[in-house]
Amino acid sequence: MIIDVTVNGVPRHLKSRSGDRLVDMLRKELKLLSLSPDCLQGRCGKCLVFMDGRIVHSCLVPAFKARATTILTFEAIAKNPEVKDIEKAFQITQTQPCPFCRSAKIMAIFDLLSRIPLPGEEDILEALDMVSCPCSDPLGLIQAVKLAAELRNKRKFSREA
Amino acid sequence: MLFASTIRSPFHRGRNAKVGIDALPKGYSAILAEDLPRHSLFPSFKDGIPIFASEQISYRGEALGLILGPDPGSCDELAAAARVECEEEEPEQEWESFSSSQIAYHYSAEYGDLEKMFVASSTELKEVYRNGIFDHHYSEPMGALSFWDKETLSVHCATQWPDDLRRRLSGALSLSEADIVVHPTEMGRTLDGRLWYPTIVAAQAAAASKISGKPVRILYTREEDFLHTTKQARSAVSIRSGSDDQGRLLALDIVILINIGAYNPLAPELVYQAASAITGIYSCPAIRIEAYAIRSNTIPLGAMGSVGATHAFFAIEAHMNNLAQRYSKHPAEIKALNILKKGQSTFGAPGLSADIPLDRIHRELQLVSDYPRKYASYELVKKRDPGCREGIVRGIALTLGYQTGRSFSEQSTMNSYSVEATLDRELKLLIKTQAAIGSEALKTMWRKTAAEILSIQEEHIRFLLPENTHSLPSGPMTLSRGSTVIQHLIEKTCRSIQKKRFRESLPLSAKARTRAPKASSSPEGLYPGAQLLDSASWCGTAVEVEIDALTGRPIPLAVWMVIDAGRIISMQTALASLRASTLSALALCTANDFDPASAGIDDYLADFNLRMRDLPDIHIRFIDPDRNGAAKGIGELPFVTIPAAFYSALTQALGLDPRQLPLKGGEILRLLEGS
Repeated sequence: MIIDVTVNGVPRHLKSRSGDRLVDMLRKELKLLSLSPDCLQGRCGKCLVFMDGRIVHSCLVPAFKARATTILTFEAIAKNPEVKDIEKAFQITQTQPCPFCRSAKIMAIFDLLSRIPLPGEEDILEALDMVSCPCSDPLGLIQAVKLAAELRNKRKFSREA
Repeated sequence: MLFASTIRSPFHRGRNAKVGIDALPKGYSAILAEDLPRHSLFPSFKDGIPIFASEQISYRGEALGLILGPDPGSCDELAAAARVECEEEEPEQEWESFSSSQIAYHYSAEYGDLEKMFVASSTELKEVYRNGIFDHHYSEPMGALSFWDKETLSVHCATQWPDDLRRRLSGALSLSEADIVVHPTEMGRTLDGRLWYPTIVAAQAAAASKISGKPVRILYTREEDFLHTTKQARSAVSIRSGSDDQGRLLALDIVILINIGAYNPLAPELVYQAASAITGIYSCPAIRIEAYAIRSNTIPLGAMGSVGATHAFFAIEAHMNNLAQRYSKHPAEIKALNILKKGQSTFGAPGLSADIPLDRIHRELQLVSDYPRKYASYELVKKRDPGCREGIVRGIALTLGYQTGRSFSEQSTMNSYSVEATLDRELKLLIKTQAAIGSEALKTMWRKTAAEILSIQEEHIRFLLPENTHSLPSGPMTLSRGSTVIQHLIEKTCRSIQKKRFRESLPLSAKARTRAPKASSSPEGLYPGAQLLDSASWCGTAVEVEIDALTGRPIPLAVWMVIDAGRIISMQTALASLRASTLSALALCTANDFDPASAGIDDYLADFNLRMRDLPDIHIRFIDPDRNGAAKGIGELPFVTIPAAFYSALTQALGLDPRQLPLKGGEILRLLEGS
């Protein structure tokens, strides 16, 4: 079947087989390599995308359900200044997620900061729970999110958070 | 490029496998064992390890061949449709009472008059401590990409040991080592899950690529990786101790059994590392150790975190806690009584040249964790409420351990690390090492070290890619063993260049390598334990655990670590590494025990049981981190000390000794119900 969907701002007509998941379709048809169909149960988080503005695990979305939706992947937000803030915070706190979960962690933090500009520790933990990868220091990650929020607010509103 | 899917054995054990494949669609082909030269990948292992099984099937899920084709989904379907027949045999799953044919490696050592010391003992205690099978939970499933460029074979693979991979491919595919280029790809935290198994996958991809004449990619799904690749070995450690009326150890009679599953080429190393660590940090005048690597018809099992030492420390520390119970003494008191001191040794090795700093670590740990008060109050609660009816059930325990300065013992190739550094006229340093597959944090640390010694800018230091350093042999990059050795070699080469700088003109080069062990220092010739301790890093860990009254789930509340690891080069990197390892080690304690007969992907997912919001408080303190001297490895310390501390805290909380890890909530509830 053909699925009409807007991916990263471009209207697409994507081929999909019955039983395909959104992550399969995006990787196979558009070679979006930031997505990884790993656990396929919505636990590892390596397939996070924005679907009509909401962050979802694309391994839990049947491909046909993406019909007429707008999908944003890491490839689309990578050049966003908010993402640069997050990357800078990773660098400063020396918290380097592994290459396999890096984009997913950035997506989860990006989503958090766009919803809650000054997140509390509970909000941060909830957001980071979307990506289960044992590669990083958890306290370092929390510090990195706090710093990313600070950098973002400083840049956006020219004041300290 | 062709994709490849693996045809797997549905049988646990059998002979003369035959694979039946219906006519394949155009563009698809099959590769089986009969299409390959009959060379073993690891000839030194008993019976060898094949690229594809055919004469002997050793476990359910073992690779029998590949289906190659342009569409990965179709390859999966065709591989699943392959029919496998064989002369099925009764699988050998029992391993605690094993037959001689199951022994893959045996190591024994004895010191002192054991029987005499047992006779002199006032208390004897015998217990068996069991460890389960754990998945490594590395970030990405196994895979390999291979292609030929004229007569040169290129292999892209996430391996901890590219040098060995190249050597194995050369032997198995009858190629010159010079004609093989291994490109190690990026890895997340591997926890030693990629020491040798990637070699099998890479060899399959290379063979398929040679036969098809096209690039071939194998990439396991997470489920395939979880069900069919190597995990931490199961172990059973039996300890019989004799002690005097004060609780001082007089005799230890120990049997270590490590179930390595179908095969593991590193079985001797696993056994030796476990035997070396089994006396822990304690002194005892008479010891006998019998250690075995036992084969069984399950997936290959092996190292995790600390190559065998985890099993040993878990057993000896748990045993010391049980001994304290027997004497109705505080565990810390019994441990302090038996800690090795200056001049003492185990196994008749030369005495320690200096006091182990464990007394100080022990004291500081008790102080920061408030251990004596908490231990006493939880004991009181337990006495007042033996059936844990009042709700909150908590326990606290501390353990002591070390990470040796030595990398590996037995196989000389495992210890052959080397580094070559060249400082050019523009004061730019090029470091060549096969081991440059570590994380960026590691490379940053090495850059910092070199920059400090040579007084150059860190930005002017670069590492040559491992594929261009084949002339420099290297051992594997494990948690921090390889990286600690490389750290020393980088320091050595840079100091050598710095010395020459004032006499000779640039460019200047220096090489350094670890010495291969002498012939006499084979495992049989080595004294386990004490002789490794002079260069070790030391650690004391306390863990506080609460048991959920409703579900029985053990919840780690806090972890305290006090570490003496010499000079700490980067405090931030050290803390980050230890905190990440602490979480992995805690996850081991509560993970599902992998059951090869019934495991499914749900078990893998259930292991993500420590969510960010459940994180315990982690407090880490280093002793004199700014002192001069060598840096030491720390990456294994959480794996060595946390399981034993977690287990002992659980034992205190429950008032029962389960004598095994991992323990899930349901099992704990059953134990409490039974009590």
